[in-house]
Amino acid sequence: MTKRLCIHGLAIAGLLASAAVPASAADTITVASWGGTYQEAQTKAFFDPTAKDLGITIKQDTTNGLDDVRLQVTGNAVKWDITELGADECARGSKEGLFEKLDYSVIDRTGINPKLVHDDWVGISYTSVVLIYRTDVFGDKGPKTWADFWDVQKFPGRRALSGSQATETLSVAALAKGIPIDKVYPVDIDGALQSVDKVKGHIDAWWTSGAQAMQLVKDGEVDMASIWNGRAGTLKKSGAPVSFSFDQGVLTADCMVIPKGSKNKDIAMKALAKFVSPDLQANLPLYVDNGPANEKAFETGKIPQDRIKDINSSPENVKKQVLQDPAFWRDTLVEATEKFNNLIQQ
Amino acid sequence: MSIASASLNHAGRPDHALNGDALNADARREARGMLALLSPGLFLVFAVIIVPIGWLFWLSLFDENGQLSAANYARFFEQASYIKTFVTTFRVAFTVTGACVLLGYPLAYMLSQLPRRAASICLIFVILPFWTSVLVRTYAWLVILQRKGLVNTWLMDLGVIGQPLPLANNFAGVVIGMTHIMLPFLVLPLYASMKTIDVDCLRASMNLGASPAATFRQIFFPLSLPGLASGLVIVFVLCLGFFVTPALMGGGKVIMWAMRMEQTTSLYSNWGAGAALGVVLLAVTLALLGLFHWLLGTRATGVWSQR
Amino acid sequence: MLLSLAQSALPIGISGIEKRFGAVSILSDLSLDVVAGEFLTLLGPSGSGKTTLLMILAGFVRANAGSIKVGGEEIITMPPHKRNIGMVFQNYALFPHMNVFHNIAFPLKQRRVSAAETAGRVERALDLVQLNGLGERRVDQLSGGQRQRVALARAIVFEPRIVLMDEPLSALDKSLREHMQIELRNLHRRLGMTTVYVTHDQREAITMSDRIAVMNAGRIEQIDQPEVLYARPRTKFVAGFIGESSFVPVESRNGSVWYEDRKLRMTTAAPSAGRHLMVVRPEKLRLVADADEAGGVNLLPATVGDVIYQGDSFVCYATLKDGRQVTLRDYCRSDVLAKLPAPGEPITLGIDAQDVVLVADQ
Ligand SMILES: Nc1ncnc2c1ncn2[C@@H]1O[C@H](COP(=O)(O)OP(=O)(O)O)[C@@H](O)[C@H]1O
Ligand SMILES: [Mg+2]
Repeated sequence: MTKRLCIHGLAIAGLLASAAVPASAADTITVASWGGTYQEAQTKAFFDPTAKDLGITIKQDTTNGLDDVRLQVTGNAVKWDITELGADECARGSKEGLFEKLDYSVIDRTGINPKLVHDDWVGISYTSVVLIYRTDVFGDKGPKTWADFWDVQKFPGRRALSGSQATETLSVAALAKGIPIDKVYPVDIDGALQSVDKVKGHIDAWWTSGAQAMQLVKDGEVDMASIWNGRAGTLKKSGAPVSFSFDQGVLTADCMVIPKGSKNKDIAMKALAKFVSPDLQANLPLYVDNGPANEKAFETGKIPQDRIKDINSSPENVKKQVLQDPAFWRDTLVEATEKFNNLIQQ
Repeated sequence: MSIASASLNHAGRPDHALNGDALNADARREARGMLALLSPGLFLVFAVIIVPIGWLFWLSLFDENGQLSAANYARFFEQASYIKTFVTTFRVAFTVTGACVLLGYPLAYMLSQLPRRAASICLIFVILPFWTSVLVRTYAWLVILQRKGLVNTWLMDLGVIGQPLPLANNFAGVVIGMTHIMLPFLVLPLYASMKTIDVDCLRASMNLGASPAATFRQIFFPLSLPGLASGLVIVFVLCLGFFVTPALMGGGKVIMWAMRMEQTTSLYSNWGAGAALGVVLLAVTLALLGLFHWLLGTRATGVWSQR
Repeated sequence: MLLSLAQSALPIGISGIEKRFGAVSILSDLSLDVVAGEFLTLLGPSGSGKTTLLMILAGFVRANAGSIKVGGEEIITMPPHKRNIGMVFQNYALFPHMNVFHNIAFPLKQRRVSAAETAGRVERALDLVQLNGLGERRVDQLSGGQRQRVALARAIVFEPRIVLMDEPLSALDKSLREHMQIELRNLHRRLGMTTVYVTHDQREAITMSDRIAVMNAGRIEQIDQPEVLYARPRTKFVAGFIGESSFVPVESRNGSVWYEDRKLRMTTAAPSAGRHLMVVRPEKLRLVADADEAGGVNLLPATVGDVIYQGDSFVCYATLKDGRQVTLRDYCRSDVLAKLPAPGEPITLGIDAQDVVLVADQ
């Protein structure tokens, strides 16, 4: 999930602008995603092959997340036919009734984790939250588990955790207490908050964007941090002295939806079916570190063997990680986030 | 004026005066003309200020289910984090304003004393940062101030300090970054008002026996107060709504009001939650402006002559 | 008490003052003695260096060389606030953030005068400038004339040994200016402080001053009492600047002075040989008959130009033989008017021997 520094005023501007956009031609759909390298990878992996196969035109846009969808749907100005969201946003938007029902006779759901298959949304890719540390500080004896990260005696050094993604930080806080990965969900929120409380005095920065997390580690501002695997991979490839693994990672899914009122629902459905098909899903890890949501992608033979171990959603790696449960956060996110915000604020 | 009063004396009613109707009609026509000239401005104010703010306020009165409710405002009292944010916001605003005065007053003073040409060159350097985005400048500060940044590296290399100073990702970082961005907003009005201080007033003061220090205290400083006050207000109010610098320099620990608005807006599935924060910030800002105005408007002239 | 100034008035000895701004010399080797208690006016055209000299006296401008002695004590390097010299600025320089009372009390406050005494002295100063009861007014509520008086009261309330005034009346309208001239003069008579007054208005200077120093281009051309300055100007500049005058070229040779082929009668010795100018004031010219020459009058044949009646008097513009214009003013007495020819007709003008003043022609 590529998070973003959103400025919500832009969303309003978007609403006003959308009125001027003419209705798409029948064979054109508009897909919105997070932009940047991630969307470029999706273009090569999903959008271009689909457009070719179906003989349609896929226009692209970028989104700030659920707020944009809500604004379009409630304002009766839907300009996207498919949009990507974080899984917890999908769960919440679904509750608010912002999406069209998906037709699983068109979309083949096999290979996708059932937790990410719902009436009106479906998983598209995975991001992991992993523990990264600087090898120039710790050598190869750095913190390997979240319990290590929490152990300020054994591993002195500066630390950063996500301050904007309460769900992820609470998940790793639960892991830090020694809860086994299959027991993390449903998260004991108060227990996780207590765990955060224990370490918070030693956190030097609570990052609010992937870029910031990367910068903190890269510049040596902190010695260890929670970080998205895509950013961790980029750091390592750039030669920074860092190490990370998928052990005790937190898998977070992204999903795709058809906003309610889309004028090209049927074509969108066919396109979405293509996006989640094992064949196109296998393309994604060739361009980006976000793993495919459909595990059948690993059986297509398209992904080189030596690449598979670096992909967060490979069958091997999935076993080492906790899968964030969107349905759980749908009902607890607001309260948990408010408490978390209060806790980490000076 | 004289025509009107004369006509009242003679006829008792102005309409009966010589050309009274024609003159009244002419006055009305002029008023309509003025209104017509003002209307584009009024419309703009209405469209881009009154309407959005009204809408913001309207939105803030509804809860998630679209029901009229005070939930968005009740949240401030139920959640301790909002109070904390409020306190932090004012702490930052006060500190930054204070730092701007400490740095800006001597700077503006120096500029006002320089010959015109030198002053304009120096002023360019004051304004120069305006040409760079706030984001870029904030990142630059991060590079300078962080643990392995320029300042700490130099100080450690020189052996001045053994441990890196905590200058970034905390309150100090936010204050340094924001002070840099806000300084011109203080210096420019202050400089402008210092420039209007009559040199002869300062000479008169010394001529009458006041030492240079006494002249500064009793003449220059009081006369620079209007500029200082407007600079203070601008800086303080801008600080209250600041987002980028605290978000990047605060290490997630210094949460200001605008950051909270962003968090709240994305957390709750209704605009009202964020709108309520906006309304509160606006109300507090207006109240402060009113207070400043009252303090300076009605008392400034009187207070100083009582000393 | 304010009347004690007379005893403490001090003389000022200014000598050898040099002032340059960059390469431009503004004052050069300027020397001037101001007698204790006198009202001395610096008169000169705009840009002649009057303000600069005053600023050097007050200590706001540093001279490049020279000496200023007040009562024998050298003050050229003394900081302004220690000089104890009162000054009235051209734009008054009242403190806008203080009311009238506090403006006038300001110098007393700097001298740590007690509140009670301050109140009394400010009261007397207000009295002196006829502003009783206006102590609580804000400065911006005062008229120009009132501001002028406040500035004056402020400059004298601390009983300075010397008072400097830089064109203090120039911002006032004509009638108020004339009124204030008299008042300032009277105030000076009463208080007797040594006063250096700057103006570019020759009438004002003549009305008010004990002595006038005429300045031109950073030099003092002449210092004298007003009547001497008028009657006996020593340079063409002074003659031209003070009062109206026409200049008639004359030549000095063999111990006498010649206007064309007429030998001038005069009561002073002839100047060195060469070309000179005779200063001709309008009121010193008379309409004469050629026969009057025997009476000791110098004759100037001319042609009548315009004649302008001004009620009580008239002005006649006449052209001399060499084309030079001279002006004659006289009262409209019937005997004079009878002698006045019509425009274009020849006329003979006369100037008495004791009125002949010569200046160098440069
Ligand atoms: N600060 C200065 N720098 C340069 N030249 C100056 C300065 N002050 C005065 N002058 C010049 O000195 C000359 C005399 O000025 P001033 O004393 O003000 O004349 P006045 O008061 O007789 O009109 C003028 O030519 C003026 O331009
Ligand atoms: Mg002058």
